Amino acid sequence: MADTSVIGRASFVRARVTGDGDLEIAGRVEGEISVSGEVVIEATGLVAANVQARRIVVRGAVKGDLVATELVLLEATARVVGDLRAPRIAIVQGGLVRGQVTTAGGTAARPRAAATAATRTPAVSSSAAPTKAREEQRPRAAAPTAPPVTKPSAAKPAPAPAKAESKANGRPAAPAPSAQRGATIAGARPGPPPPVVPVLKKGTKAVQKKR
Amino acid sequence: MASTVIGAGITIEGEITSDEDVAVAGTLRGKLIAKDAVSVEHGGIVEADVTGGPVTVAGSVTGNITSSDRVDLQNGAKVVGNVRATRITIADGAQFKGNVDMDV
Repeated sequence: MADTSVIGRASFVRARVTGDGDLEIAGRVEGEISVSGEVVIEATGLVAANVQARRIVVRGAVKGDLVATELVLLEATARVVGDLRAPRIAIVQGGLVRGQVTTAGGTAARPRAAATAATRTPAVSSSAAPTKAREEQRPRAAAPTAPPVTKPSAAKPAPAPAKAESKANGRPAAPAPSAQRGATIAGARPGPPPPVVPVLKKGTKAVQKKR
Repeated sequence: MASTVIGAGITIEGEITSDEDVAVAGTLRGKLIAKDAVSVEHGGIVEADVTGGPVTVAGSVTGNITSSDRVDLQNGAKVVGNVRATRITIADGAQFKGNVDMDV
């Protein structure tokens, strides 16, 4: 008991959590987590914090970056909005990620531009015990399947997908998504007939207002 | 075993709110509010105001303790702060500096 700390499911912690030992989160945590051992975020866990640990296992929801010196494992019920960085990253089928995924050493990280293509798709599927190579292949394999999904929607309101894409590509875009983005915009231009122009204007105004 | 446990090596700087019982064997700075039992284990250091149900202290608490039930200061406990509770026990060997406020 001395080493494992538990945040129970009816507990809410708004704090900086640091120190040695393992951490199990079934409740809510806001702030910052930095421990030397393993962090397990249970299915009922809700974390709005950057997490740093030796191993991170996620079954719940996380908003923040996950940095591990050994392993990041997203189970099937995991929902993560934030970047993942660890020497080994595993995403079980059904795990959701939005952010940059980098399989590199915890400290000696590769330059960001050279990092592998980020997982922009909402669900990155991979079978049990995914290897590093498999992780890198997945996003590229998913890229060709994406345009059929975006194109029909691009035909109607052009700005919407463009906006979504640009939001998703907040960081320096990896080659595959940027190419795909350009393709959808180029494809949308000749598509809409003149009556669509007001709609397009509305969309762009909304985007400007939001920003 | 308590539902929320702060282990021996862990430091929490901030606020803990819980509807269940909380055990602190590590370090907590800030604020602790629990609806159920609060236990500061031997070696635990709490620099915070503590609000809870039954509060048991075997470690160190610097801050006010408010309990809807009882407060037990066990042997080895070190408490600096005011204690407000309906019942209170101070064991032989417990160090305590502060006021006691009981509903009489």
